[in-house]
Amino acid sequence: MTALLELRHVGRAFGSLWAVRDVSLSVGKGEVLGLIGPNGAGKSTLYNLIAGALPPSEGEILFEGRRISGLAPYQVARAGIARTFQIPKPYRHLTVVDNVVLSALLHDKSVAAARRSAEAVLADVGLADYAEASVNVLTAGLLKRLEVARALALAPRLVLFDEIMAGLTPTEVKMMTGLVASLPARGTTVIWVEHVLYAIMSAAHRIVVLHRGELIADGPPKKIAKDPGVIKAYLGEEMSLA
Amino acid sequence: MSMSVAAPRTVGRWRLMPARGTLSLFELVLLAAFVALVAVRLPQNLQDVVVLTFLWAGLALAWNLAGGYAGLISFGHAAFFGIGAYTSTILTAHLGVTPWIGLWIAGLLAAAAGAVVAMICARLRGPFFILSTLAAAEVVRIGALNWVTLTGGPEGLSILPTPSAANMVFASKTAYAVLMLVYLVVVYGVTKVVEGSRYGYYLLAVRDDEDAASAAGVNPLFMRTSAMALSAMLTGIGGTLFAQYFLYLDPTHVISPELSFQLALLPALGGLGTAIGPVLGSVVITPLSELLRSYLGHAAAGLHLAIYGGVLIAVMLHFPGGIAAALDRLATRWRKRAP
Repeated sequence: MTALLELRHVGRAFGSLWAVRDVSLSVGKGEVLGLIGPNGAGKSTLYNLIAGALPPSEGEILFEGRRISGLAPYQVARAGIARTFQIPKPYRHLTVVDNVVLSALLHDKSVAAARRSAEAVLADVGLADYAEASVNVLTAGLLKRLEVARALALAPRLVLFDEIMAGLTPTEVKMMTGLVASLPARGTTVIWVEHVLYAIMSAAHRIVVLHRGELIADGPPKKIAKDPGVIKAYLGEEMSLA
Repeated sequence: MSMSVAAPRTVGRWRLMPARGTLSLFELVLLAAFVALVAVRLPQNLQDVVVLTFLWAGLALAWNLAGGYAGLISFGHAAFFGIGAYTSTILTAHLGVTPWIGLWIAGLLAAAAGAVVAMICARLRGPFFILSTLAAAEVVRIGALNWVTLTGGPEGLSILPTPSAANMVFASKTAYAVLMLVYLVVVYGVTKVVEGSRYGYYLLAVRDDEDAASAAGVNPLFMRTSAMALSAMLTGIGGTLFAQYFLYLDPTHVISPELSFQLALLPALGGLGTAIGPVLGSVVITPLSELLRSYLGHAAAGLHLAIYGGVLIAVMLHFPGGIAAALDRLATRWRKRAP
């Protein structure tokens, strides 16, 4: 697999605190990469570094061989990287479908074409029935799905999911896990931060573990679930994977 | 679990009520009423009200492009209005350029000023942005007061009142009413095109959530700057038209904070971020303000302002989303009643 995204010794300090330190990571095209770790491990900071919301203090980030560290968030998005926000950030005064139309407009120049794309994505995440509703009526779980829909409507080559399963019912988790697993076949590589471990363990091809800003493990889900260092830092007990 | 949304009411192929990106029957009827107001022979003072209602509606629409759609609430639009009014008047007085050409230069200069304000205030949000626009307008006003050789300072500038179509000075108020109606229709058209376009959607995105907009590939600084420039340009052109109607301008009147507030008030009352809102705001408020002043202004000094203020408060309390939102609710009620 060729590297789609490459982090080279990336670090970010806030004052004297290193939220992310010396992280080197290569993500292959077509991968579903799980990123786990305890609260405060630096997962969201790492996302903000990749998405351009924060510049790295050191190191560099390459996407498709091109340096993207230092670009503004909208430039990173145009380069082909989509993200969701851990706390959903819907456009509050727009309908559900218009929220997604705004993403689809990145590729569809006309509003009518963007609307067709948006409706297709809404069907994928199971929000088709809510298309004309105001986002203010959506529950926490539905807002998470809207975040996913907005990210996917950008037709990204890489998507960063940030806890998209939080607040979802088990049925919703199952549906969304199936959706995530189907993305590589549609040309979208996935990096996925998640605390709902059974979902990520079943859908991810590979998992990396971040602890106190540093990568402490990297491997297939089954190996990570048994890794003593990961158990001590995050899992608490050995996971049995069905 | 499905959300049933009643289909919008239509008459033939026309939507009944205004909606984003399309024209409705309501708008066409309103336009017909405006044309009728121009065509019928009204007494002079009522013609005056009609002219001002059209002009204020156009100006409110221009303000709304930045304040309503892009969320750039400005209390400084009088600066762009004043720049427009002074530019064409000075060009006529010093260089003999007709206001028909001057209004384009006025628009461009106002647009440049708008872009500069947006870029200077790029990092400011909410009340800080609002106060900065107010301060920027004060800078322009004080500049105009003191640059006497160019602006005439506090004594102001007069435009030769000899009627001449080539100089955009007319003897009849009907001609001015036509001029203002054309301005209103043009700014309305710009608004409708913007709100139905990708650009218009991007404005709404930046207004509602800048982080989310950036993550969708939208450049917030470009959107804010261009929205402010477009809004300022149309406001500047309105300034030129105002100058040609009043034939006199001085900094205290055309660049006053009161004017800025009025420009923000009409769209806020009518409905922010809608095309029809600012028009309805002007239709309700401008005649009220003008007629109260002319009937009560000298009989009971101050009373007209008290009534005016009372009505404003009542409208704001009763229609929090503006008159346009109230109309929307009314339309929804009809829809539910319809078989």
